[in-house]
Amino acid sequence: MSADVQLDQVWIRFGDFVAARDVNIHIQEGEFFSFLGPSGCGKTTLLRAVSGFSEPSEGRVLIGGRDMAGIGPNKRPTALIFQNLALFPLMTVWENIAFSLEVKGVGTKERRKKAEELLELIALPGQGEKMVSELSGGQKQRVAIARALAAEPDVLLLDEPLSALDLKLRQHMRTELRAIQQRVGITFIYITHDQGEALTMSDHVAVMSQGIIQQVGDGNTIYDQPETAFVASFVGENNLFKGKVSEISGDYALVDTSAGNIRARTSKGEERLSAGDEAYVFIRPESLKIANASKFDNRIGANIKQQEFEGSFWQVFFDVEGSDRDVKLSTVNDGSTLIHKVGDRVDLGFSADMAIATPAGELAAE
Amino acid sequence: MISDHIRKTFTILFVLGFFAYLFGPLIIMSLTAFNSSAFPRVTPWECFSVEWFQFLGKDAKLIEGLQNSIFIGIGVVVLAVPLGLSGALMLTQVKERVRPWYYTVTISPILVPGVVLGISTLLFWDRVGTMFGASRESVFYNGFFLTIIGQATFISAYTMLVFISRLQRFDRVQEEAALDLGATHVQTFRKILLPFLKPAIASAAVLAFLASFENYNTTVFTIVSESTLTTFLAAKVRHGINPSISALAVVIVALTLFGAALHEVFKRRELAAEKESARIAKGEQVTRKSKNRFITDPAVILIFLVTVAGLGTVYFAGTMGLDECKAAVKAEKQRVVQERVKKRQQKSMFQDAGRQALTPVPEGAGARSRPAPGTSNFQGLFSPDNLEGQAGTKETEQEQEKTRAAGTEQFQGIFAPQNLEEQSGASGEQQ
Amino acid sequence: MGRYWQEFFLRNGTALALYLLISVACWMLLMIILPQIFMLDFSFRTNVPPPLWGTEAHGYTLEHYQYMVYGSAQSTDSYNFVDLSVFGRTILTAIFVTLIDVALCYPVAYYLAHVASGGWARLMVMALIVPFWVNELLRAFAFKIMFGSTGIINNFLVAIGILDQPFDFIRNGVALYSGLSYAYILLMIFPIYNAVESLDKNQIEAARDLGCPWWRIHWRVVIPHAKPGITSGCTMVFMLTAGALAAPQILGGPSSLWFTQIIYQAFNQAGNWARGSAYAIILLSTSIIFVLCMMKIFKVKLGEIAR
Repeated sequence: MSADVQLDQVWIRFGDFVAARDVNIHIQEGEFFSFLGPSGCGKTTLLRAVSGFSEPSEGRVLIGGRDMAGIGPNKRPTALIFQNLALFPLMTVWENIAFSLEVKGVGTKERRKKAEELLELIALPGQGEKMVSELSGGQKQRVAIARALAAEPDVLLLDEPLSALDLKLRQHMRTELRAIQQRVGITFIYITHDQGEALTMSDHVAVMSQGIIQQVGDGNTIYDQPETAFVASFVGENNLFKGKVSEISGDYALVDTSAGNIRARTSKGEERLSAGDEAYVFIRPESLKIANASKFDNRIGANIKQQEFEGSFWQVFFDVEGSDRDVKLSTVNDGSTLIHKVGDRVDLGFSADMAIATPAGELAAE
Repeated sequence: MISDHIRKTFTILFVLGFFAYLFGPLIIMSLTAFNSSAFPRVTPWECFSVEWFQFLGKDAKLIEGLQNSIFIGIGVVVLAVPLGLSGALMLTQVKERVRPWYYTVTISPILVPGVVLGISTLLFWDRVGTMFGASRESVFYNGFFLTIIGQATFISAYTMLVFISRLQRFDRVQEEAALDLGATHVQTFRKILLPFLKPAIASAAVLAFLASFENYNTTVFTIVSESTLTTFLAAKVRHGINPSISALAVVIVALTLFGAALHEVFKRRELAAEKESARIAKGEQVTRKSKNRFITDPAVILIFLVTVAGLGTVYFAGTMGLDECKAAVKAEKQRVVQERVKKRQQKSMFQDAGRQALTPVPEGAGARSRPAPGTSNFQGLFSPDNLEGQAGTKETEQEQEKTRAAGTEQFQGIFAPQNLEEQSGASGEQQ
Repeated sequence: MGRYWQEFFLRNGTALALYLLISVACWMLLMIILPQIFMLDFSFRTNVPPPLWGTEAHGYTLEHYQYMVYGSAQSTDSYNFVDLSVFGRTILTAIFVTLIDVALCYPVAYYLAHVASGGWARLMVMALIVPFWVNELLRAFAFKIMFGSTGIINNFLVAIGILDQPFDFIRNGVALYSGLSYAYILLMIFPIYNAVESLDKNQIEAARDLGCPWWRIHWRVVIPHAKPGITSGCTMVFMLTAGALAAPQILGGPSSLWFTQIIYQAFNQAGNWARGSAYAIILLSTSIIFVLCMMKIFKVKLGEIAR
């Protein structure tokens, strides 16, 4: 069984503090949905409202079309995987996994059987008698998943479950989580501040900041077509030029920045740019090229400040007049050596389709 | 550098002195229980004996007091452990603004004098009883009920502190996890919180029982017409001291030490478990030790062995050859007494018989001396070596009989100091 | 308020929420607060026989507090010198005992925390707990045995020739003062030990490195750090000493009554519960005022004390 989750005009307040502001999201049945945002943005609060540990101050949470108001966490068709996993240290692995059956009054034999099935699923067969303390970090992770799945939830909620793992294991667990989700076919709602996790695993991502949903979309859309300054600055790396819109023509805007006039696509959020607005222009480092002639719509004069070799690619940093921040370019290491030296003056070029202009607004902390 | 050295030596001596001050009185008291001398003391040592212990078993009031103490102790455990637990669980849930007040009120019974707690409990339930028109035989006037309530008032604060320190290390998320997996609140409490608190419950129970067992200040007011071991003991000590009290003391000390050792074991197990879970939290992999059962815990076995061995040795040593030893001591005493008598008889021949007067009482020996019919030349008899003699026991009386029988009436004064000693012991308490 | 209770029940579930509320309410109201209020009320009422309690004859009066100050109407003295002097002596002695305990415990606590090393220190700290478990009465009894006129101290002092006659330690209070100092000494040493132990050793080394003499290290570095521990030890020792009953009953001489003994007499011998209550209130409020003063002077919070 799987169910959709609907957040309908949800507000959550703690005194004067607003943790979630008018959140409207419809999470489809069976999808892998992520909330992405810096810590303190309200994503965990939303998750707790879905799982039933807190009630929204306003608005409704619907799971499978049913309003969850007044229904406690133990009665909701959700299971939560906690950031610190919250495995029960005084129980064995199988007792942990079968806990949800134990509280339902299921007999020992059946519990044992179910636990063994789930241990197979998470590739830990025959480890049921171990104590939780004897497992490695990745194994604990999988036990926590099995424990949650044993409750046969319609929706599985995951609160940054990978954050305690080291990088290698984290990358491995991403694939594994995605695989498990596809096998069991239920809705996964995943909370993370790690954009890599969100972009690789999810069908859809919601980027959140200060209690506000900035943008909802699939990974590609979020990356290529950010709707707000926050999303553009938070997801992936971006070079920023601040300026004023001098002209709008169709989907493009001409923005007057300190580095000169830049032509860029306009963002497609609720707030639209018009002439005279303050605007931010973002260009990805990989979209910048050291230009030859008039191949590009936009061209900026810059001095090479530093060149860093990163193995599969080079990073080059530039000084641009009128901008106090470095402009960064990255280029694939194709075996050829760089032709420019530090101190050289070059022209940076990029097409208007690769640059995006958003209304000025909140930026992600660097 | 030299002054450094002196300071160090001085510090070490100070610390040693401190520990001597801590343990000396207890050790001496315990030793007096094994001396066959009828007055509790270690010098002169007479015979190693366990006969004072044998007296204890025959004392019906003592047994009754002991039974009452155990009953009350169990009552207090049953009341104070749940109260302390709820107090601790409540602490994190009361509003931030109210919390300091809540904490102050629940902790205050520890600082309020026990006497005050006893009186207020007694008065309060008396008034409650009156309000309900209850009879004097009803529970509101019952010493057991009042004592359990009175003691639980402050012992609950002790148990609360135990639970608070344990709960500080509890990961509240576990409760949420259980709820999320479909457990009811009661199931969460039973299956998650209680197992975590188990060691704390055990140690709180031991603590509560010991605190109840030992309490005097509150109990003496609330017990009304009943008696507990401590009120019995207090009455006994105030009516004059003898080694059977020391023997009782040894028993109680041994029992409390046993309890304290168990408590320590509980605490250590708790700490060990905590360390392990701390390592788990850090994500370390912990190899599983064979699950350490309480009964096979080395510390428990050690405590058990030491107890058994100690009891056995003491019992054998205290009963074997006791009679022979006593006879020898008695003979030695008689010899000393007779020797003195002889000496004094010789001496007195040279003394001026006219200097007869009432024996002055040594300053420190207590006011209510009976005028000793001795002469001033016997003043020397009050010298300390005589004070070592026996204090008004059967034995001494027999000796007195003998000396009297020997026709040396005037030497009765020899025994005056001991009699004084006995009196001062009692008179100190007669106020 | 409504929302708070709603959340409280939601968080704990009905059964647990009820258990928590009922038991905490019983404990706080029926066992802690109401009995004290009733005792306060009782202390302001006339002394009538129990059957008349609660009737009109059982009216309000200040006589018991007046008695404490002025004595009975028949007495020729203008003040109740007996009770007042006992009260004054009790408080002064309790302060004195507290100071003695600080003086005894501070060096030992410092030694255990920073000088003694490893296993020995741990063993000694463990050993400190042992006497704490032994009954208060028995500790007093032990002192009675030691200080008796044929006790080991007298025997020793006479044997080495310091005294030529046994000295009556009981009558002139020496036994009582040492017994009282002994009774609650562990409530002094543990808070100080815990406080001193938490001091970073490097701070001491740094001070020493700067050429600070040892006494100044204590005065400027260690003692300020241990202040909360010292205050909490003092508070507990003072309150328990002033409220002690067992040690004075056993070790007190005929002329050194303790204030709790007067309360005891009022209850158990004079049968004057009202006066006993009034005196208990006096003892309690004096102790509380003393503690509050201590907390004010040394700027320590109650939370730091009761640990």
